[in-house]
Amino acid sequence: MELEQRIRQTLAQVAIIANCQLTDNITDDTVLLQSGLDSLGFAMLVAQLEEDLGIDPFSQMQIAVYPSTFGEFVSIYRQALVQAS
Amino acid sequence: MTLLQRLQHADYQGPAILALTPVSYKQLINNALQLRQQYPQLQQHAVALTFSDLDSFITALLAFDGWCRALYLMPDNLADVPSAAIRWPLAQTLPALSPQNHTEPSLWYLATSGTTGTPKWIGHQAGNLSRKVKATAYSSTLRWALCYQPVRFAGMQVLLQSLLSGAAICDCSNGDMNYRISQMQRYNVNAVSATPSLWRQLLMTGQLNTLSLEQLTLGGEIADQPLLDTLSAMFPQAKLLHIYASTEAGVGFAVADKQAGFPASWLETSQNGLSFKLDAQQHLWLKPPWEPDSSLASRLDSEGFLNTEDVVMIQDDRVHFLGRASGVINVGGNKVHPEQVEQVLLQYPGVQQAKVYAKASSVLGQLVIADIVTDSTDTTTLQAALLQHCVQHLQRYQIPVKLNFVSSLVTNETGKLSRRPDAQGAS
Repeated sequence: MELEQRIRQTLAQVAIIANCQLTDNITDDTVLLQSGLDSLGFAMLVAQLEEDLGIDPFSQMQIAVYPSTFGEFVSIYRQALVQAS
Repeated sequence: MTLLQRLQHADYQGPAILALTPVSYKQLINNALQLRQQYPQLQQHAVALTFSDLDSFITALLAFDGWCRALYLMPDNLADVPSAAIRWPLAQTLPALSPQNHTEPSLWYLATSGTTGTPKWIGHQAGNLSRKVKATAYSSTLRWALCYQPVRFAGMQVLLQSLLSGAAICDCSNGDMNYRISQMQRYNVNAVSATPSLWRQLLMTGQLNTLSLEQLTLGGEIADQPLLDTLSAMFPQAKLLHIYASTEAGVGFAVADKQAGFPASWLETSQNGLSFKLDAQQHLWLKPPWEPDSSLASRLDSEGFLNTEDVVMIQDDRVHFLGRASGVINVGGNKVHPEQVEQVLLQYPGVQQAKVYAKASSVLGQLVIADIVTDSTDTTTLQAALLQHCVQHLQRYQIPVKLNFVSSLVTNETGKLSRRPDAQGAS
């Protein structure tokens, strides 16, 4: 499955468990913390992706880069997967 | 000296609160004196202070410290006021009270979360809470962001630091991260104290670097090296401190060398009157320079050390924190008692055993996970129903983010679920 699609799917699942109402139409420019996901939901998303993909880019980065938008978030995972392979 | 006397004595000229209409130290003092005149019957009684806005909160604090017998600082998730305490701001007409002559300095009570979910009130001398305050010509130039309600230990520390050094403070304790950053930008904040989890969220706004921060403080959770490195790279000239505080002991210490943990040499030599030692279980013990609250007497050893029940590990001449011996989980600064969550899970039909523990999170420090033993064959339905049950009985941060269905749970030699944190459990 394409990475972005997979992240979107996990995001939707996590939002249900985290009881967060996601905004409609999340694009690359959507600011993560304004997507309806709060910090707990975001932490759950990162934890679930670690289980699904086997990586947590935020724990592995020496100097951490923090994503502001959904597009940046996906791109951090894309880079991390390339480095991990 | 009371807080009010200290501010009267210091006679700071600048603004105390940064807001659309700034509030000066003089105004705060005058308002507090008026409040005392208005409610003389409160003298020597106990009040329970709730936080609504910074101006009213500080005014009440100045008026009632040294005037009332006890100040209970009410967390906003706590509905019940301690018995005999009067809720402030007043919810109804003040009952008939007779003022009594004041003799003792006020005790300030802060709530710590108890294992049953009922908070424990720990009394502190106001003077001890403000012991760490540094008042210098430089500290009076700082403009603080208050990121936590001041009814909590961390927020109160920031508020006292700002007030007693003649600095200015703006309320950033509410709203989403972008709103908080915009408040910090508007009032030109240059000093911020926050949990590592909150710092990560501030970094996620992508706008933290627009602030000219001179002092950064991390507290309330274990500070990790990558985060310290990120912040020190963004603000290379700034003072970067991570602090450890025990609400119970009412003490803390700060580490300024931008490295996680604290130097192992501190175990040999005391720091600013605070002594450190480790026991065989790797628990950190602290001996504050004053007598702790009498409720803690039974937990002191013969030398006067208090067991913080924080488990540590020495590595490369640094003492690193691993987590709480009791298994208390710290979700972004919110304490979760595993036993409390287990009780809620076990109430649900079909749940035979439950074990709640922490999973390391790169975002919030730790998250809550539960292992469940059940006789139900339909775990999908059970999972959804259990989460619903948790939503009804627990705070959001207490709800397990993952339920693992397992065939059995491992117990230790005494038959109890093992709760000892290991190196993996902390990050």
